[in-house]
Amino acid sequence: MSRSSPVPRVVPAVLGSPALRLAGWRLLTAVPILLGVSILMFILLNLIPGSAAVQLLGPEATPQQIAQLEEEMGLNRPPVVRYVDWLSHAVRGDLGRSLVSRQPIADVLPARLAVTGELVGLAFVISLVVAIPLALLAARRPNRLLDRVSMVVSTAGLSVANYVLALLLVLLFAVKLSWFPAIGYVPLSESVSGNLHAMALPAFAMAFPLLCFYTRFLRSDLVDQMQGQDYVMTARAKGLGPWQVLLRHAFRNSSFGLITIVGLNISGLIGATVIIESIFSLPGIGQYLLQGILTRDYIVVQAIVLVFAIITVLANLMADVLYAVLDPRIRYGNH
Amino acid sequence: MRIRANICLLLAGALVVAGCQGSAGTGPEENQVGPPQRGGALTVLLDSAFSGSWPSGLDPATNTTGGGNLTQMLAIYGGLFRLVADDNGKNARVVPHQASGFEFADGGRTVRIKLKPGITFTDGTPFDAEAVAFNIKRDMESTCTCRPTWQLAAADPITTEGTDTVVLKFAQPSAAVITSFVVSNVNWVASPTALRQMGPDAFRIKPVGAGPFKVVSNQLSSELVLERNANYFVKDRPYLDKLTIRSIGGDQPAYQALLAGQGNVYEGMTTIPLLEQAKANNRLVVTQQPATSPYVIQLNTKIPPFNNKRAREAIYYATNVEAIRQGLFKGAYPASQSFTADGGLFHHATVPNYRTYDLQKAKDIVAELGGLSVDLGTLKTYVADQVNTALQTQWEAAGIKTTIHSEQLNGLVQNFVGGKWQAMLQTAGAWDPAAGVGVAFRFGTMSPFSGISDPTVDGLLQQAAETPDAAKRDQFYVQLGQRISDEAYAPFILAFAPYSVVTKNVHGPGLTTPIPPVVVNTAILWDEAWISK
Repeated sequence: MSRSSPVPRVVPAVLGSPALRLAGWRLLTAVPILLGVSILMFILLNLIPGSAAVQLLGPEATPQQIAQLEEEMGLNRPPVVRYVDWLSHAVRGDLGRSLVSRQPIADVLPARLAVTGELVGLAFVISLVVAIPLALLAARRPNRLLDRVSMVVSTAGLSVANYVLALLLVLLFAVKLSWFPAIGYVPLSESVSGNLHAMALPAFAMAFPLLCFYTRFLRSDLVDQMQGQDYVMTARAKGLGPWQVLLRHAFRNSSFGLITIVGLNISGLIGATVIIESIFSLPGIGQYLLQGILTRDYIVVQAIVLVFAIITVLANLMADVLYAVLDPRIRYGNH
Repeated sequence: MRIRANICLLLAGALVVAGCQGSAGTGPEENQVGPPQRGGALTVLLDSAFSGSWPSGLDPATNTTGGGNLTQMLAIYGGLFRLVADDNGKNARVVPHQASGFEFADGGRTVRIKLKPGITFTDGTPFDAEAVAFNIKRDMESTCTCRPTWQLAAADPITTEGTDTVVLKFAQPSAAVITSFVVSNVNWVASPTALRQMGPDAFRIKPVGAGPFKVVSNQLSSELVLERNANYFVKDRPYLDKLTIRSIGGDQPAYQALLAGQGNVYEGMTTIPLLEQAKANNRLVVTQQPATSPYVIQLNTKIPPFNNKRAREAIYYATNVEAIRQGLFKGAYPASQSFTADGGLFHHATVPNYRTYDLQKAKDIVAELGGLSVDLGTLKTYVADQVNTALQTQWEAAGIKTTIHSEQLNGLVQNFVGGKWQAMLQTAGAWDPAAGVGVAFRFGTMSPFSGISDPTVDGLLQQAAETPDAAKRDQFYVQLGQRISDEAYAPFILAFAPYSVVTKNVHGPGLTTPIPPVVVNTAILWDEAWISK
């Protein structure tokens, strides 16, 4: 019997994989979603009163000065013309130049995206690294002291606005204890330890409400699983210890819900960066977006919103792919 | 047992934190130190909502927010002239800086500005008359409200004589020509060579001037890093090696950053509770700048109800300025009865027969009118919102039905231009009432932001702006203030004065000694700033 080459067998297997087909379909549907987001954002920006010219010139600008600057910026063109002009460049990867600073957006975005990306990434890591073990411990002994304390703390954490928490963290850890800096950013290329030191407080300010939410959510789901599911009884009947049942079976099933929540939280987390970056003086996308909105620089806002939309679509796609990894029924298309 | 111990530790830690308090702080007069020291780096924090925003870059001709970015522009460009004052903030005057002097001719229609010899831009090119003239021409064509409102002569208004004299010609005499330099972009001279070589888009990011510092990096509206200009024309200046300007999201995070050591200077703090904490903290020095721009309630006399003088008088009588001063601001800001304040030129504390608070008179007038309803707007800022709320309470007590709203800038401009506004809380005036957009902006007939149409007011404004004689100018402004009061055009409230909050090791004019704000913020003399080790 001859052995056929593994490559030809793998290729159709991969191409025929339900997970890959799913990913491809998601990417295809992302295109109209992104288009719709850009149109909606453009409409909203044009509905906001005033223009970049007024915002830039300030309260002492005369109508003549405003009209002159609007003409210089091309803001006197019809909205449809401006949108089509922007779109025709965006599809070719040219996100345009800021109306206000004349800087190419593509020159500014990468550095700022790196800052925000790091902030969001750290927030996610901190939240999951703390929430998962805490939820497991709480679910292992429901209604005992650790469970009750963690639920009280997480309820309190969800009740505090993240900007209030940020200011409290600065007051305690930066001002009183001087453990961390209150503001500022150190690029990774300059110093890894300096970078992490500077990002600790802002990342924790973003992570804390998340970890409170994830802890409560996961703990509840785990308790439901452990107390209500037949497969748990079966596993116990087979002689598996409680931690083995919890980790190998209940947690695996509960993780689907957690993955969904984490994917959905991406957009909310990105929105939170606007406030956090402002408080901690971080030169990220959030700060750039806020500037763009305040100066009515619709080119900047459109570009950033598009980037956020792409990130959200990709994040949800990753969540779907993770489902396939965790659930063989999805992987083999039997779900 | 372990859990209880942990909880106790947490509580103890909280108590220690709560117990930490600074002792009484120092004001500028108590901060006596030795001679200035060379070296060191300073971090300046600026509110991202105002001066900490420089989205259009730092080219004087294209920085549309130049009036708010005084710190950045002065550090990079210095200035042909600058506003200085005695250590107590008094005797403020405009003095030549990169200019060596000036003289008027032709009845005030021509001014010759002589430049100091030997100044170079940081790119090594000469700071000469040609460079200055080039900049002034460019700035006069710019779209910035920081452009001077000069009426230049039709033919050859900007010329040079030799390499060290710039000649400006005006259509009519302008008394405020020299003082208008310090409030406008013509004061900041950019290197024409660098501009041509880099192109305007790159230049606005990394501009080249002849100021005490040069640009190392510039992340717009985030962080500007400057280093000492080793070839600065003033010997042994600047004192500092490095100046970092950072945008921050408001008074609270800025205050905390100062305490945490991530900043040395915060300009323009307005939150009274934080100011009180800062004053009580011995690690900080709080300096109140002299006031120059009073708040005024503009009344639109072109439409009802304020086309009726009795309605305007009711507003005067219903407004309790002293209650606002004390209740909201703990007496921090002085009251005004005109468009000048004690930190500016031509100030007179009182106007004869000015209508002050009298609730009964206000009620009587409202009854006489058969009722009065007012819509009161303002720009959305912390101070203005608080004052508006207080005014609403006071006017309601007089029977004046009052609705208040605060707008973002775009909305505010639209309100004015639409002409349907009734009352607006705004600021008026500047260090020199004729400099910048001037008082005419609020009270001139031709201004879209004015609520009055009065030839007498227009005449007084014009005469005051054209007369070079300071005593005569003073008289015109006294008459103007009297006219505004007599006709009840606009009650004045208090003269807002910004505060600088710095760490105890920082010193310098505008930082620890007051200098009147040119318009809104103080022009700090960065080449004189220093840090003690």
